[in-house]
Amino acid sequence: MTTYQFFITTWEWNPTPLLLCALVLMGYFLAFGLRGRPLYLAVALIVFLVALMSPLSALADGYLFSAHMVQHILLVLIIPALFLLSLPPSFFLPRPIKTLAHPFIGWIAGVGAMWLWHAPTLCNAATTLKAVSVIQTISLLLMGSVFWWQVLAPRDSERLSPPAGIVYLFTACTACSVLGIILTFAPVSICPAYQQPVDRLGILKVIRGPWGLTSERDQQIGGLLMWVPMCLIYLTAILAQLARWQSDSTANPEKSHA
Amino acid sequence: MNGTTTTAMFRAAILDPAKRAHYRLAWLSTVDHKRIAVLYLLTALFFFVVAGVEALFMRLQLALPNNHFLHPDTFNQLFTMHGTTMIFLVVMPVVFGFVNYVLPLQIGARDMAFPRLNAFGFWLVPLGGILLHFSVLAGGAPAVGWFAYAPLSETPYSSSLGVDYWAIAIFVLGIGSISLAINIIATVISGRAPGMTMRRLPLFTWINFVNAFIIIFVLPVLNAGLAMLLIDRLLEGHFFLPARGGSAVLWQHIFWAFGHPEVYILALPAFGMVSEMIPVFSRKPIFGFQFVAASSMAIAVLSLGVWGHHMFTVGMGRPLDLFFAIASMLIAIPTGVKVLNWTATMLGGRIRLQVPMLFCIAFLIQFLCAGITGISHAVVPLDWQTKNSYYLVAHFHFVAVGAIVFAVLAATQYWFPKMSGRFLSERLGRWTFWLMVIGFNMTFIIQHFLGLLGMPRRVFTYPDLPHFTWMNMLSTIGVFFMAAAALILVWNLVASFFGGKLAGDNPWNAWTLEWATPSPPPHENFDALPPIRSRRPLWDIANPDRPDPIVGENSSAIILPDKNKTGILTFILSEAGFFATLLLAYLYFYAHPQPGPTPRELDVPRTLIFSVCLFVSSFTFWRSEIAMSKRQRGSMLGWLALTVVLGGVFLVGQGTEYWKLFKTGVDVSTNLFATTFFTLTGFHGLHVLLGLIALLIFLWLAWRGDFASGRESAFESAGYYWHFVDVVWVFVLLTVYILPLLR
Repeated sequence: MTTYQFFITTWEWNPTPLLLCALVLMGYFLAFGLRGRPLYLAVALIVFLVALMSPLSALADGYLFSAHMVQHILLVLIIPALFLLSLPPSFFLPRPIKTLAHPFIGWIAGVGAMWLWHAPTLCNAATTLKAVSVIQTISLLLMGSVFWWQVLAPRDSERLSPPAGIVYLFTACTACSVLGIILTFAPVSICPAYQQPVDRLGILKVIRGPWGLTSERDQQIGGLLMWVPMCLIYLTAILAQLARWQSDSTANPEKSHA
Repeated sequence: MNGTTTTAMFRAAILDPAKRAHYRLAWLSTVDHKRIAVLYLLTALFFFVVAGVEALFMRLQLALPNNHFLHPDTFNQLFTMHGTTMIFLVVMPVVFGFVNYVLPLQIGARDMAFPRLNAFGFWLVPLGGILLHFSVLAGGAPAVGWFAYAPLSETPYSSSLGVDYWAIAIFVLGIGSISLAINIIATVISGRAPGMTMRRLPLFTWINFVNAFIIIFVLPVLNAGLAMLLIDRLLEGHFFLPARGGSAVLWQHIFWAFGHPEVYILALPAFGMVSEMIPVFSRKPIFGFQFVAASSMAIAVLSLGVWGHHMFTVGMGRPLDLFFAIASMLIAIPTGVKVLNWTATMLGGRIRLQVPMLFCIAFLIQFLCAGITGISHAVVPLDWQTKNSYYLVAHFHFVAVGAIVFAVLAATQYWFPKMSGRFLSERLGRWTFWLMVIGFNMTFIIQHFLGLLGMPRRVFTYPDLPHFTWMNMLSTIGVFFMAAAALILVWNLVASFFGGKLAGDNPWNAWTLEWATPSPPPHENFDALPPIRSRRPLWDIANPDRPDPIVGENSSAIILPDKNKTGILTFILSEAGFFATLLLAYLYFYAHPQPGPTPRELDVPRTLIFSVCLFVSSFTFWRSEIAMSKRQRGSMLGWLALTVVLGGVFLVGQGTEYWKLFKTGVDVSTNLFATTFFTLTGFHGLHVLLGLIALLIFLWLAWRGDFASGRESAFESAGYYWHFVDVVWVFVLLTVYILPLLR
């Protein structure tokens, strides 16, 4: 299989994500009509489908650790953030879930999503067993949402104050960078399943040959993705916090301890 | 009016012989931020002269090909001392001096949050300087470059004591820098005047506030590396010795993980100075305040993750090169934003071309050049060609001198009237300016071309190749212009201090709070503060009919966070960086096992039992805090004593483990596992010990009964530290004891 063939043929028209997207879309419009920001939702759903059905997903499924990392970042950081941004201010969390909206839990969820699923055993299980992979996907989306709620909740009053938000994001960024550094320089395979892939699609020769991705290099790129580009996502959020801080001239007095 | 009287009184105090004895002592024992600032500045000036003379000697050696004016080893010592001195004993102290003087004034504070810590931080600078230079008497100065690459810096290759003194000196200076950074953060968070909200901070204060965070994150990384280097050298550890399984590249990672952010630690305050002066001398508010403020933060965050571009020539592999190249280029965006802001501020302004502004304009141009050659180093193949040539020397001198020193010279001219009550001479200032600009460009522009022609850096001489001779000669001649500029500057400082034109409170018609008080300010800084509603309070007073728009809401009752807690939390952040570095080094070598003892020799169950003691001590401390808040003295004393006992038991447990290992012949020099194990647990044990001493002091104070009230925040702060030490042990326990069980 050539690279071109690979990118054409490995779109996996899996009905479950499509159905899920349709349900979310329907639920969203039934609940909020056009009061939210549906554009963000549309982008979130498209990214979701790309993460789960595109050649990226095929590569993440046992071939490339780095592709898995891209998927991981999309699921934890990009999709939940876009989803929260799409919600209208009238959105309220149901009471039992509201207990999750605590900065400490949010931070642990965001950082835990990175560390937990890169423990060798769990990472391996998620790569080799379909059921674990599904659990992983769902948990990443949920943990990402809990993490982002602190800075992207639909109502300003439910978000951290901008300075606190900056601390929250920066410390999370640092904690994830440390993991990225460990992955980049680890001499052993963090996720052994990617070392000797089962060549379901006959693409391995292309990956190792023309693409030049040995399993060591692959893991290094995975670690670097977590280290550098992911930090840029946090940095963008930090700058957004600063912008919010500098622009809110009408903030209510009790919040202005800054 | 008021200003001149105070100035006169101040001068009388200096010159009155009867008061002079007291006066001298006062400067030694001072905790006043303004005097400490002056001490920082004078120390920096002294070392500037020292390091400048070192540079002069090097350029004399390099003026002619095949020159033997200096011995090769002397040359190596000179370039090591020049680099180290300029960075740690000149630019850091000079920046700290200005921050110390101006920052509390700008936020309307009476002093820094912790004046005694401030004095401690300063006195570590002369101590570090003396330690560094004492090496000259103790067998020769270090000759390993300011980056001290291993294994050259290891005992087999540098057997004299020079590197030891170097490492200890930098370690001491690092502690001083961290203590000042903690002080800056606590001052800005907890010491602001009523009305001075975080959003109204002047840019100089804001940028230095952000900068303080870089300091507390990265200097501990360097200190961890220096501790490892010293353990290698003094205790025969193996961290950076490839022959014994260590990694020389690890040193480079640690050093540049500090070293790259260090560039911004030096440059950001310069950006802050320029951001104050350009608006004042253009008679316009800064263009895009928010962008300058935010881009500083972007630079700070990005700077932490781009150190790899110093290591392209090491051979890190293509993935690392690629990511670091892209990340490094990204820094050009926020820096470019800043340059645009400064130029746009000047655009359409009524520019006053006085000496500070002249230096600011020169700064802009030179910094732009430095930035462009900087981006060229992010291009990996180009970097491979130029990294070890004079092209790089030219680049970083454009940053260090063209940008940072020019900004500092501008700031000197700008804030000297505030510090002394008198102007620096404008005429002599112009002489300094032109000699500096001409000399600097003559010395360093040509070095770009020398580098591109292939002249390597760090060499004591060179063959007589085409163009090499005249280019080097030109470069050397330029140094004399700079030396003349420096002499005139010193003369200007001295002459103006005694006979300069009187300045008054606000000589430049500036708008920030430091100009709202006499020059020099009285001991307590302000008699009364003007109302603060915007970023330019003095503009609002001078132009009541068209004040600046109010920034944020105007609530007078701001509750500032407690300074003790802010300080200790900041300190804990820096300690976290230190332990994270040690932990990562441990993991790195754990993944590359060496023959000899392994983690399997450790007694896990016994350690777990002793660990429980440590964890329980966090609980008992918490009980003690509760008892204190309920005013139950006996209960508080009991719980606190129990905490101390539990901590002591943990230390005894650690001690017996060490003893058992020693008895089986395992010590820090046995193999890399032993080196990393003893380093990591040893530093943790040391922190537990320090925590215990702090708790014992509290216990003693409480026992004597003078711990009645108002000390809760100090007690709680000590508690934060104690809990932190426990949390670190969770990570150490997991990494050292539990991780091997999982495999």
